[in-house]
Amino acid sequence: MLRGLATAVILLFFALDLALPATPVGVRGHEARVRAAVPQASTWLGHPLPSLSFEDLQGREVHLADLRGHPLLVTFERSVDW
Amino acid sequence: MRRSRGRRKLVAMHRATSFRWLCRVLGAVWIMLGLVLFVSFFAYQRPGSQALLPTGPWGHYFAAMAGCALVAWGGTLFAAAREPALGRGVGTATAVGLVGMALYRMAGWVVGDYYAVAGDTLRVEAGIFLLIALALVWLRPPRLPSLGSPTSEEVA
Repeated sequence: MLRGLATAVILLFFALDLALPATPVGVRGHEARVRAAVPQASTWLGHPLPSLSFEDLQGREVHLADLRGHPLLVTFERSVDW
Repeated sequence: MRRSRGRRKLVAMHRATSFRWLCRVLGAVWIMLGLVLFVSFFAYQRPGSQALLPTGPWGHYFAAMAGCALVAWGGTLFAAAREPALGRGVGTATAVGLVGMALYRMAGWVVGDYYAVAGDTLRVEAGIFLLIALALVWLRPPRLPSLGSPTSEEVA
């Protein structure tokens, strides 16, 4: 009885493992969001960036407008603490 | 009738042998892996050393703890291999542990953070652990008849 139950549970998990999608949710979701955002992003080409503000490493607020006239590189990265 | 009893005996013998070997192999792998995790903590403490594991001080701390647990787990598997009928519970406990290890691997794979560094490895490992758990459930030796506790007269 217990052996049958244990077998059923393990087989269920095994089937779930086999049925998992070919790419994990994180990758699928990320790709989908980026692809969906491309047409909207292309409409911003040639236009000034909207007013954005960020926090620097010292915790001070930095406004994009304050940096106007200076060369600026903005990158966005996902932070994963391994 | 006699042939069927003989056949049943043979099947039980094969089952016990397979259980022994499964426990021995899994026990050896667990002990080796446990020792690596244990040693990695001490290697990490040397000044200017390169970390063996891709983690920080707390990661090494918990890895060493998991290493000690794996060595103990491997030891109980060796004991179960020596005396399968007495180590019956070890098979069940190990199967439960393996299912747990498969589940968190599946969850990690679905979420996707580990996919970037490990690819499909997590999913394959989960499948292997589930198969080993299934083997442990089916090869588990039968329960021994209870001998009961000795009476005071027997003890005397």
